[in-house]
Amino acid sequence: MIRRSSPVLCLLNLLYFLCLTAMPGKLAAQVTSDQLLHSSDGPTNWLLYSGSYDAHRFSSLSQINRDNVSELAPQWVLQTSAPGFFEATPLVVDGVMYVTAPEDNAYALDARTGRRLWTYTRALPEKIRACCGHTNRGFAILGTRLFLATLDAHVVALDSATGNVLWDVKAADYTQGHAFTVAPLVVKDKVIVGVSGGEYGIRGFIDAYDAATGKLAWRFYTVPLPGEPGGDTWPDAQSAARGGAPAWVTGSYDPQLNLLFWPTGNPSPSDDGGVRKGDNLYSNCILALNPDTGKLQWHFQFTPFDLHDWDATEVPVLLDTQLNGAARKLLLDANRNGFFYVLDRTNGQFLFAKPYATQTWAKSIGSAGKPVILPASAPSEEGVRTCPGAAGATNWMSPSYSPQTSLFYVSVREQCDVFYTHRQPFVAGRPYIGSVYMPAAKEKDWGAVRAIDPKTGEIRWEYKEFSAPWGGNLSTAGHLVFTGDLEGNLIALDADTGKHLWHFQTGAAIYAAPITYELGGRQYVAIPSGTTLLTFALPATNP
Amino acid sequence: MKFTFAMLFFVALVCPAVFSQGKSAVASPPDPQTIANGKSAFRVNCSFCHGLHADGGLRAPSLVSGHLSHGDSDDAMLNNILHGIPGTAMPANDLDEPSVRDIIAYLRSLQKPATAPPGGNAEAGRKLFFGEAYCSRCHMVFGQGGRLGPDLSRVGATRPREYLVESIREPDAQITERFVATDFGNISPTYELVTVTTRKGTTFSGVIINEDSFSLQFMDDREVIHSWPKSELQSITHEKRSPMPQYTSQQLTDAQLNDLLVFLSSLRGDRP
Repeated sequence: MIRRSSPVLCLLNLLYFLCLTAMPGKLAAQVTSDQLLHSSDGPTNWLLYSGSYDAHRFSSLSQINRDNVSELAPQWVLQTSAPGFFEATPLVVDGVMYVTAPEDNAYALDARTGRRLWTYTRALPEKIRACCGHTNRGFAILGTRLFLATLDAHVVALDSATGNVLWDVKAADYTQGHAFTVAPLVVKDKVIVGVSGGEYGIRGFIDAYDAATGKLAWRFYTVPLPGEPGGDTWPDAQSAARGGAPAWVTGSYDPQLNLLFWPTGNPSPSDDGGVRKGDNLYSNCILALNPDTGKLQWHFQFTPFDLHDWDATEVPVLLDTQLNGAARKLLLDANRNGFFYVLDRTNGQFLFAKPYATQTWAKSIGSAGKPVILPASAPSEEGVRTCPGAAGATNWMSPSYSPQTSLFYVSVREQCDVFYTHRQPFVAGRPYIGSVYMPAAKEKDWGAVRAIDPKTGEIRWEYKEFSAPWGGNLSTAGHLVFTGDLEGNLIALDADTGKHLWHFQTGAAIYAAPITYELGGRQYVAIPSGTTLLTFALPATNP
Repeated sequence: MKFTFAMLFFVALVCPAVFSQGKSAVASPPDPQTIANGKSAFRVNCSFCHGLHADGGLRAPSLVSGHLSHGDSDDAMLNNILHGIPGTAMPANDLDEPSVRDIIAYLRSLQKPATAPPGGNAEAGRKLFFGEAYCSRCHMVFGQGGRLGPDLSRVGATRPREYLVESIREPDAQITERFVATDFGNISPTYELVTVTTRKGTTFSGVIINEDSFSLQFMDDREVIHSWPKSELQSITHEKRSPMPQYTSQQLTDAQLNDLLVFLSSLRGDRP
């Protein structure tokens, strides 16, 4: 990691000093584990990637609501000058916003004005192995430490007041295809991260680091080797060692059960199962791990022996509710394979699954949670059209659950691909895909936000979008759902009906989920788009 | 993987616009394993733009039609694949040299035998373009011509002969993408015909310029740009075809087509 002294940084430091002295209160944040546990009780801040450990991405703020959202107006814009997919979720702590951008750039901002307090840049090596863009999805925070997982496979702690580096540890060798794009999750005194690299034949893992020192506390390999439980789901040690199963999306956490729920991605190579016959554990799973030890409590696999690149790296949403007359602790997962799953998160028991998007590969999901696969859905040398496409019915973009409406909101991609297979030799550190997939010819993709009743899987409403989206969702107590579409519109919908209420053209495709926070008595909504981050609020009332 | 692998090609690994029509370079005797490895590397890295069988796609030309306009030799191809081609959509690629050599061997194995250059007269083609064939009604070349279709001032550098033949004889086979979206991940619209009817009952048609969930921009045949909020339209029909008329051999003889192709192939962005 590198931080350079420069006139620019000196100026930023001066700005920071000026901001400190100009603001009515202190801006340096101090976030406790207790605050993280009860993040939903303090909706003025946004303390975790998904807003709360249960990953509802819901805010109880309601100043902006369905009656006044049409008056929403831009307040300030951050221009990062960092090209790439801007997929981050900002954190907001007591008036300061912390946001990461492509190429591991990061910023602290006065959340009221957008003025920078500091900038972090990283001198990345020339040849980063990140399949799908040099992206980063955000910080985690504990105390006055921000945690960043980097493209060159390091984990870094920054001082939240200055951006100074407190520790920087190497997790893996980036030249072999390891990278981090994930926003870390802090659980108690540990920083949890999952690796990217499912397109490079890595062996996936989830790591926990001591927040104070950066010392590795535990590592869970997401591909077991022969002799380990699950090792017999791979033909041999070599295929397992290249087996993928990355873990590049932030999980959720249940403090009562003391379980971490972390999703995993595709087996490698993603399109050619011929070299990895078997279920390929723990690819495309939810893993329930003890966050203190990294010990696996249970797993559930959505797409065994995946041939379509359907990573299960969707944010798992936790919900306590009555189901069929009994109080249940549920885990909700709108999976990339086109089915909406409901599990018992105490033990991983499959409860039900229902399609929420067009799918052509499975007759159903059987009673044990295993798909009943339709014939001729496997890729071939000549190509086989399958829905959903490789990008899935949804992807990493966050869903949201609103306790106000009891609905689960998910961005849906209606797009099919033709999947081809062709044996590809393995070369360490190089793409290991097993051929290619292409959008089905002359089929216009489209998208939707769908509101799902998590007790039944029934779709209660749908808001159609022109193209298949990459933006996530936020629901609020203002009876609103905010989402972003591929054409760059930030959109507000009525959470009860899906009716369009407001939109704003941000100027670039949206690849992030909105957040909301409150400062100085005003509620803000923030969204990354292109190389900018925009914030919105209602017109200020005169004091 | 995070996105479709297609997206990866958008970001970094698009293969080159290397060839155009003409004679083939001398091929070495193919080693089947090398060719298989090259096919695999081509599929993963290049096929999204150049087509699954290297015979051209919407974004990049065929690589099997013979002569390479940016360099014929293996070394030139290696350089183009590794470092990209300035002034084209072909980027540098993070590949190692053995993989690129495999790709080149695979492409050589697909190249068609050299054929005699087709006859044709560029000046006759130019006269057709601006006269009898009415191409300039919709296409511009060096500032002369219409606005409805793509500017063709560089078409000879970017499209192989086969693509041009298809575009003229069967314009609906593939509708060309329009370059309006430059941000990561956005999808370009095509030059597709659209017909709309307003809430007041008026109907308009034109070539799509851009579209999202809320609005539609198109150019009508008088070259007037329309912008309609979708809330003011009662119907929108995507015609799934190009407004370009089909030139059969009745409208344009094979000899005339050859003249036109020679003219179009001469257009490489160098203003006369």
